[in-house]
Amino acid sequence: MKAMLVTLWALAACVAMAQAGAQEAPPRATERSVLDAEVQELRREVVDLNRDLFMLEEDLLFPASTQIAVFVSMDVGTFFALDSVQIKVDDKEVANYLYTARELQALRRGGVHRIWLGNLKAGEHEIVAFFTGQGTHERDYKRGATLTVAKSVGAKYVELKISDRLRKLQPEFVVRVWE
Amino acid sequence: MRPTLILAALILCAPPAPAEEAVPGGLPAVKIQDLHYGDVLFHFYQHDHFSALVRLAGYREQGRLDAHARDAELLRGGLYLSLGQHREAREIFERLLADLSTPPQVRDQAWFYLGKVLYASGLYEASERALRSVSGTLPAGLDSERRLLLAQGLMYRDQFDAAIAELDGWQGAPEWTAYGQFNLGVALVRAGREERGLQLLDAVGSLVTENPELTALRDKANVAIGYASLQSGRPAAARLALNRVQLAGSQSSKALLGAGWADAAEGGYQSALVPWLELHGRAVQDGAVQESYLAVPYAYAELGAIGEAVQYYEQAIASYDAERLRIDESIGAIRAGRLLQAALAAEGDGRQGWFGQLAAVPDSPESRYLYHLMAGHEFQEGLKSYRSLEFMSRNLSSWSDSLGAFSDMVETRQQAFATRLPAAEARLATVDVGEINARRDRLRARLEAAVAERDVTALATEQERGWLDLLDGVDAELVAHAGDAAYDDAREKARLARGVLLWRLHAAWKVRTWQANRAMRELDAAVYDARTRATASSRARQGAPERNAALGVRVTAVSPRVGSLAVRVQAAKAAQGRFLADIAIGELQAQRQRLDEYSVQARYAIATIYDRAGSAGAAP
Repeated sequence: MKAMLVTLWALAACVAMAQAGAQEAPPRATERSVLDAEVQELRREVVDLNRDLFMLEEDLLFPASTQIAVFVSMDVGTFFALDSVQIKVDDKEVANYLYTARELQALRRGGVHRIWLGNLKAGEHEIVAFFTGQGTHERDYKRGATLTVAKSVGAKYVELKISDRLRKLQPEFVVRVWE
Repeated sequence: MRPTLILAALILCAPPAPAEEAVPGGLPAVKIQDLHYGDVLFHFYQHDHFSALVRLAGYREQGRLDAHARDAELLRGGLYLSLGQHREAREIFERLLADLSTPPQVRDQAWFYLGKVLYASGLYEASERALRSVSGTLPAGLDSERRLLLAQGLMYRDQFDAAIAELDGWQGAPEWTAYGQFNLGVALVRAGREERGLQLLDAVGSLVTENPELTALRDKANVAIGYASLQSGRPAAARLALNRVQLAGSQSSKALLGAGWADAAEGGYQSALVPWLELHGRAVQDGAVQESYLAVPYAYAELGAIGEAVQYYEQAIASYDAERLRIDESIGAIRAGRLLQAALAAEGDGRQGWFGQLAAVPDSPESRYLYHLMAGHEFQEGLKSYRSLEFMSRNLSSWSDSLGAFSDMVETRQQAFATRLPAAEARLATVDVGEINARRDRLRARLEAAVAERDVTALATEQERGWLDLLDGVDAELVAHAGDAAYDDAREKARLARGVLLWRLHAAWKVRTWQANRAMRELDAAVYDARTRATASSRARQGAPERNAALGVRVTAVSPRVGSLAVRVQAAKAAQGRFLADIAIGELQAQRQRLDEYSVQARYAIATIYDRAGSAGAAP
């Protein structure tokens, strides 16, 4: 019985090492390394292909001559907990986006969300953004920002930035046009 | 690299396999100067590394990341590293380091990530050189990770003293310190300096924390102390450490088994029965539970309760037999390819808490042993590859559908262009922008001449011009009657009327020249607009067919790439599936063999008991 006790101890002590410590059969190691190399090569090619398709899709659907993109960014955001953003272009709704907690976290860390990518003819257009969320003291808060954009031949980028106006303890919604 | 993953591999008895989860998690706060870089970060911060990498590569190619070129490269390398693409990651970091204009902060991060790539590739010496090249500007979290990687690399090469020197007295970022202490404890124990090692492990094992990762680490440290103490003949110390392990955690079965042996080692068989019988109620696929089926009757036998001992040995044999049948059933399910379906279905979002949830997967042949299989590094890594192949397969299938739509779109555009072109050209033919331009130039010349000569009549209104014409007619009539006194009165009235009209024109001159200049400027803008639109329209008419054709060529060129990659991904997926099934079957067969041995031991123990009882009965 003592011998069995020793066996059991040894087995118990090596529960943890059973996986990593076991000598791997060489053919299996070779097979694994061949498979790993193939997966790596495929992954590289799939990333490259996705990059090419990403650009092709944009060139096809949103050519630079008519392209316009609207981005949402957030700088601190202490006085405003964002729920959603609605975008209207020339009085027509083009985006209505409800943010998840993870997306808000990404915005707070410096990420910028491309909320809408579309096409506009050259000329003047009115863009209206509505921000819905909670302001200070958990009060429901809805604010709008309007911008008239003169769309020319090149792509146009509009940034909607939510930041804190410290002096007034209020959120501030800044619209900036990037060429 | 998440600390848990380092630790999962760093179990006391065996050197760890490298963990691969890695990306610049400690990316410093960036003031966005390119919106597109922010868009990449938006995906990156949500751990959507594939999308982040694709966007980064696309935007980089489009020249939209110029203001963040170096940060973007660093991130690109980190993203490749996180996807397990070591070669690409290494090339990027080496390129950044070869560029002498790379600022020190970026260089340090590049050295760090290069060290990490080399570590993950098993090139520990080269990794150490890279990690030691960091000059000291790393953020605290990364520097802590750097120190741990250095120590782990040394441990891989059995340089435990160097690893100890690296970690001894080190105080990193708070969340890393416990991991550092754990690793140092392991290094010391393995270097034969057990007492000091166990002291450090004890400090980790006594952590007061609510953090689930640190709680798991605490349990591991206590189990490590428990078994090390048992092996060195200190059951009381073992019991103390094992008592600190949570009852519901992943280490609890091992801890209960060890706690029983600690009691048994001091002759406390009655006490040993408490943890061992607790194990009896747990799932029998757990190695510790299987052992408890032998340990319980062993304790009863030691206590002289032979009847109970025989009963529990028989129960053990029945349980082992049932378990062997279940293993055979699972091997059948794995051979039928159902294990991988179950693994993919059980993975949830593939992130936090997933491994914990696996313990609760359905008790079906295909999923019953998932938790135990996933404890193995090789299976885990293999499943990761299988998952990425599954992802690639879905990704390619979705692009394949989109490409069909792209082709239709290009074709439709070509047709629409051909249909609309004649009408558009006819409309545009009615507008001569050159003539409009010339008319504007003539008008400007007239205005400039009028201003230069102060020709007030040039800016007369239509009505005033009518009056001037009328007065010119009257004057001509009066000339015909020159010298006739009867017309003197009329002559005087005409002179007076012209005087009044000219006075008015002079009075309005300033306002009218200002208005005329403003109107001229507006006309300039309108003419410019017309010219620009005409040029754009002409370019569009000329360029559209070429652009469409170029897009069509791109769509046609990319389609075979998608198709051939999809075929290769399917083949790799099948091969990877077979490989995983082989690992799983091998593991289950080993478990079955272990159960055979346990069963033999149980039968032998029963025979011994009957033998002894028989001998005792036969004795005079």
